Amino acid sequence: MNGILDSQKFENLHFDEVYTSLNDPKDHYKTIVERFNQLSISDFQRINNDVKTAFFNQGITFAVYSEDNKANERIFPFDLFPRIIPNDEWMKLEKGVIQRNKAINLFLHDIYHKKFILKDKVVPADLIFSSKNYLKEMVDFTPEGGIYTHISGTDLIKHTDGEYYILEDNLRCPSGVSYVLSNRMALKKSLFELFNKLKVKTVYQYPEHLLEILKTVKPANTDTPNVVVVTPGMYNSAYFEHSFLAQKMGVSLVEGRDLYVEKDFVFMKTIRGPQRVDVIYRRVDDEFIDPLCFRKDSMLGVPGLMNAYRAGNVTLANAPGTGVADDKAVYNYVPDIIKYYLGEEPILNNVRTYRCEREDDMKYVLENIDKLVVKPVDESGGYGITIGTTLTRGQIEEVKVRIKDTPRKYIAQPIMSLSVHPTFIEETSEFEPRHIDLRTFSLMGKNTEYILKGGLTRVALKRGNLIVNSSQGGGSKDTWVLD
Amino acid sequence: MLSRVANNLYWMGRNIERADHLARYSKANYFSSLDAPILKTYDRKFVLESMLYMAGIFDMEDINERDVLFKIGLDAQNPNSIISNVTSARENARGARNAISTDLWEAINKYYHLVINYPPEIYLTTGLFDFSQMISDQTSIVGSKIYATLLHDEEWAMILIGMYIERGLQIIRIINSKLNDIYKIEIAGNTETEMSFEWSNLLRCVESFDMNRKYYRSIPNREQVLEFLMLNAACPRSIAYALNGVRRYEEKISRNENQDGNTTSFKIRKLAEQYKYLSYDEFKDDIYKLLNSTQNKLMEIGSEFEKKYLSF
Repeated sequence: MNGILDSQKFENLHFDEVYTSLNDPKDHYKTIVERFNQLSISDFQRINNDVKTAFFNQGITFAVYSEDNKANERIFPFDLFPRIIPNDEWMKLEKGVIQRNKAINLFLHDIYHKKFILKDKVVPADLIFSSKNYLKEMVDFTPEGGIYTHISGTDLIKHTDGEYYILEDNLRCPSGVSYVLSNRMALKKSLFELFNKLKVKTVYQYPEHLLEILKTVKPANTDTPNVVVVTPGMYNSAYFEHSFLAQKMGVSLVEGRDLYVEKDFVFMKTIRGPQRVDVIYRRVDDEFIDPLCFRKDSMLGVPGLMNAYRAGNVTLANAPGTGVADDKAVYNYVPDIIKYYLGEEPILNNVRTYRCEREDDMKYVLENIDKLVVKPVDESGGYGITIGTTLTRGQIEEVKVRIKDTPRKYIAQPIMSLSVHPTFIEETSEFEPRHIDLRTFSLMGKNTEYILKGGLTRVALKRGNLIVNSSQGGGSKDTWVLD
Repeated sequence: MLSRVANNLYWMGRNIERADHLARYSKANYFSSLDAPILKTYDRKFVLESMLYMAGIFDMEDINERDVLFKIGLDAQNPNSIISNVTSARENARGARNAISTDLWEAINKYYHLVINYPPEIYLTTGLFDFSQMISDQTSIVGSKIYATLLHDEEWAMILIGMYIERGLQIIRIINSKLNDIYKIEIAGNTETEMSFEWSNLLRCVESFDMNRKYYRSIPNREQVLEFLMLNAACPRSIAYALNGVRRYEEKISRNENQDGNTTSFKIRKLAEQYKYLSYDEFKDDIYKLLNSTQNKLMEIGSEFEKKYLSF
């Protein structure tokens, strides 16, 4: 019998996660390739369908609106072939991510206080002050424990040289961790015997660690903090995750309209009257959290929240104003930021980044657009990205005009080659190589930190596509860190 | 518990209960009409009107079978339809997602998908029975998850109080609706046998036919059916039972804190007690009067409860 993976060939244009140049599976993939090859395509399809049904019933879906305004729900595509990271590779990665987050946290404290790094001209001051994510409300204020980025998501890719590169930092409300846990649950149910053969590090303690971390930054005036998760509401695309985390932590999931501020304390409206709130894991963007400070039309926020925060009566995680550090233009300076605060060489590589507001860089970018990825600095979700090799001549001209109009808005990077991983493609009922990246999730509290072993492997399901975001047709894989 | 979440749970309970009654009423009436002995008065329009009355739809001009069935079952534009109630139940469950168990959430979510994906053409041609049965089965699954997978605390009581208020109101509505039908048949001059067919039908509309048979061991008649569905506290589909339910779960939430005569707790206790010591002879001459006053009191209790606990 032919195995379902027999047709897989080593991918020589990109880094192949699974196969060697001799078409053999790499050591850490041998067990799983062997197991998959014992399945027939129909076995595999059956398992695949069961998993999809389970995701559907769990409500791990997003809504797509059709012409008659009827919401159709789709699941986020999930691929059953897990991505495996050997322990030594993971350890280096973990160290690198922790190092990076520590430095960024120090950087945030500095730019909102004495601004040494700007005075020393390691990072240009205008880059920081011109950012719309730099919040004057945070100046000279120190969040509890000095922690700004309680939760961060770091996006990494593996290039043809087999090295990890940081693609971007997500320091505001990084999402995706609920998929990591749901993916693992799905895989455990469907391919349980593999877990007997391979020692896979668990991911289930994430919510417990998150709750612990949030409690370490409680306001000083309480011993038994009431921790809540704040969501924009159930029509938000990440609502599943918000409710998932609240439920797993055993805390209340609240909306802005459930809260109010009185005498600089935050209360939630319960059936027994007001109850004080001490720590808020907020999944609402900065500009919407307090209509008195930021967007006045915000229906999602709580009037007076920033005053309560600045009075030290409530902790917000993440702190407002962290977005200034995950701006794609600041990304370029992170290696310098690491050296400046920690006196260490960066463990993980940055991708070379051209900032269009610099004259030399802009010149290079305009001349080489066909070889570069151009990204707006302040967008997320893969929006507004252009990839040089896929552009027509007309489109190249359009991009040039946009860059010249607002150079501060764009950065460019060489087209990095994302590694490939066999992925089951439903249309062809076969495994095909697809590009993947990795988002890690790390937590930082007062004198404590935690990093989720593995993370979310996102996969671009369209052949040749390099954009893995779910909003752009991406799926995900379970990620195994082996002991 | 957040007041908003309490609001979600309460309405989730009401929506689930309402969809179940709507489906059962339509099914029982429609299918019993197919071979009814009283064909003269019992034409299809008569049944359809009864179904519309029960569903609270009074604005239909041209009454035809397809439109009526669709409007009650799968018309998402009609807020009183089964599909709208199931959708609201699911939205409410989603809003209170972290207050309920994963098991319960998945059961409600599955239920919702079964309903919204039910092909209208099948429902309107061959699927009415199957569809109604599915609603009833799914309601049972959801009910058992409520019972077996939630901590029996305030949040749980919040769902149940919604269910029992809705049950009380729906049973009153069903009895009202059938009394109305029976009155029409009576004035058309039908026989006792034909009337007993209608009384059986009322029992089927609240899924109490078998229970009633077991209790009285005779052919259903007016007195037995009304006594049973209104006063029998052992019948889970009676008004008395629903009132006891509202009382039980209201007490769990109010914790009997205030015994004042103006409180909602007091009013619900008074109403439940009234049914406890009532006999058929006391109200047989004006059943509508009792039904209407019970309905009004129950609605008042519902809105006071909502105001006290669910506003945010």
